[in-house]
Amino acid sequence: MFQLPKGNPLFENLAVTKLKLTDVVTKLANGSFSGYASFTFPNATGILVFEAGKLVTTFYKTTQGPSLSDFEAMTALAEQMANSDAGTMDVYRLSKDLTMCVNSLLQGEVLYRSQELVLIDIKTLLERIKNERMNGCLRIYTDEKSAMIFYKEGNPLGFFHDGSQDIDSSPGESHQLAQDPKAKLDLYTSVSADELMAHDLLDVINVAKIWDAAVARKQAERNRMNRELADKERIQAFTLLSDLEQQIRSIYIDYVGNVGRGIIDKELTTAGGSSCLLDQERSEQFLAALEKAAKLLISVKKIAEMKEKIAALLNQARM
Amino acid sequence: MELLLEQLQGIPTIYLIQLAFWLLAGVISFMFSLGNARIWTSISMGFFLILISQFYLLNKLFYTPSMAAFTYVTGTVAIMLITHGFLEYYVFCRTFEITGRKQSVYLSTMLLLLLSWIFLSINPEPSMFTVRNVKMVENAIWVFLTLMNLEIIRKIYFSIRDSTIARAFICFGAVFVLIFLWKGSELYLQVFQWDRLWGNIAFQLDLDEIAFDRDIILDDSENYHGRINLARQVYDYAGMLAAMAVSGTFAFLYRLLK
Repeated sequence: MFQLPKGNPLFENLAVTKLKLTDVVTKLANGSFSGYASFTFPNATGILVFEAGKLVTTFYKTTQGPSLSDFEAMTALAEQMANSDAGTMDVYRLSKDLTMCVNSLLQGEVLYRSQELVLIDIKTLLERIKNERMNGCLRIYTDEKSAMIFYKEGNPLGFFHDGSQDIDSSPGESHQLAQDPKAKLDLYTSVSADELMAHDLLDVINVAKIWDAAVARKQAERNRMNRELADKERIQAFTLLSDLEQQIRSIYIDYVGNVGRGIIDKELTTAGGSSCLLDQERSEQFLAALEKAAKLLISVKKIAEMKEKIAALLNQARM
Repeated sequence: MELLLEQLQGIPTIYLIQLAFWLLAGVISFMFSLGNARIWTSISMGFFLILISQFYLLNKLFYTPSMAAFTYVTGTVAIMLITHGFLEYYVFCRTFEITGRKQSVYLSTMLLLLLSWIFLSINPEPSMFTVRNVKMVENAIWVFLTLMNLEIIRKIYFSIRDSTIARAFICFGAVFVLIFLWKGSELYLQVFQWDRLWGNIAFQLDLDEIAFDRDIILDDSENYHGRINLARQVYDYAGMLAAMAVSGTFAFLYRLLK
């Protein structure tokens, strides 16, 4: 993803997790904002371009997938914002003309893409830009560096290259790059700023609905995960309880004989099931009931031994 | 004092030995009832009451018809308590339920004995016949409930045969076999009027002479001398052995549950 000129920063590094897409869009639209809001996630980037409070471009791209625009971009951005645990938002104010140029970079018509510079007559191309009064951006780049020249009606507005924060008025880096034999170029054209302002995506995209749907999906997913987690915990607890019950059962039967099987079943039912084993008070009542029954069957000494073993198991399980 | 000693000497030695063993059995069973689970209280209190019921053996010392009848009623209460205890134990083996309190057992027993005493007090003083009838009723109940207890004990044993205490129930089985012989032999003698109480009645009322005058056979004991003698021997020795077995069983039970 190429860098965009930063212009005048309004907000930088705002945590996306604390933001609502609807609030961001509403605030920028109501403030007659011109410029763009850039959302940076670990694996994706989203950009909303505004011109005098009108949403003119939406752009979304993941590191792997294709770039999306308009409704799809807005939906993907909302999903990403709702689901992401990390991400930042930067908002930069730009002039009307630069906003148009940024729009051309994101969604303009591509006249040239990855064209090797040595194979092009650059003078002719620049003349064509001038003669056809093009609006847009000429991007010159190598594998290591890139530079952009923004045009309005065929005249250069300014120069921007990687590493710089703002638009330069002198060509500098772009001239040096143009002389590199490995350099390539892209040429993007855009409609004029006035034409750009003729439509507002907010008229056709219901951001609130998209956001609510994304949040609802996120909530549903969270609920599903919570349910799965609860189920998993329940199964784990059930397994733990089953094992514990089995161990207690075998100790009791070892001491009192097979009649102990029925006693355990009855006392567990009375105590409200094996869940009582993890509750201090209820497990003590359960143990007391086992002891009471055992008094009819075995010696006091053996009862003490048995109780000690069962109590140790219960304590271990409760830890 | 001399008279007391003289009368004491008049009591057959076998009865004195039997009484001594019942005294031992009574003390052990009562002590056992104090320190163990509630269900054992009914059983051990029942065996303790046998001691009281055996005081009739000392009739020569302080005989009154009411006292004699009371000792027999106590004997009836004893087997009822024992049966109740074994029934509760059997119910425990099947349902694993233990209910009630020790105090309730002691209080109920005392109440039953008190009511029996009141019953005897508010009615005419028992005649010799009445006393003998009460004794017969006691023996009949003992014989019937002893057989029932043997069946209950068999079932209990099979429910808990791999438990420590199971062997004690074999001992109880032996105790009830001896008690059946003891009480059964006396009932046998009573049914055919070969018992000592009937002998006393016949002697005091001169029934032999009346029978002779009216040509009725009231005493045929001479014709069945052998079986009467055997029944009396069984009564004497089974009673003594039963007392010994009860003492031994409770001592064994105490050791198992210690």
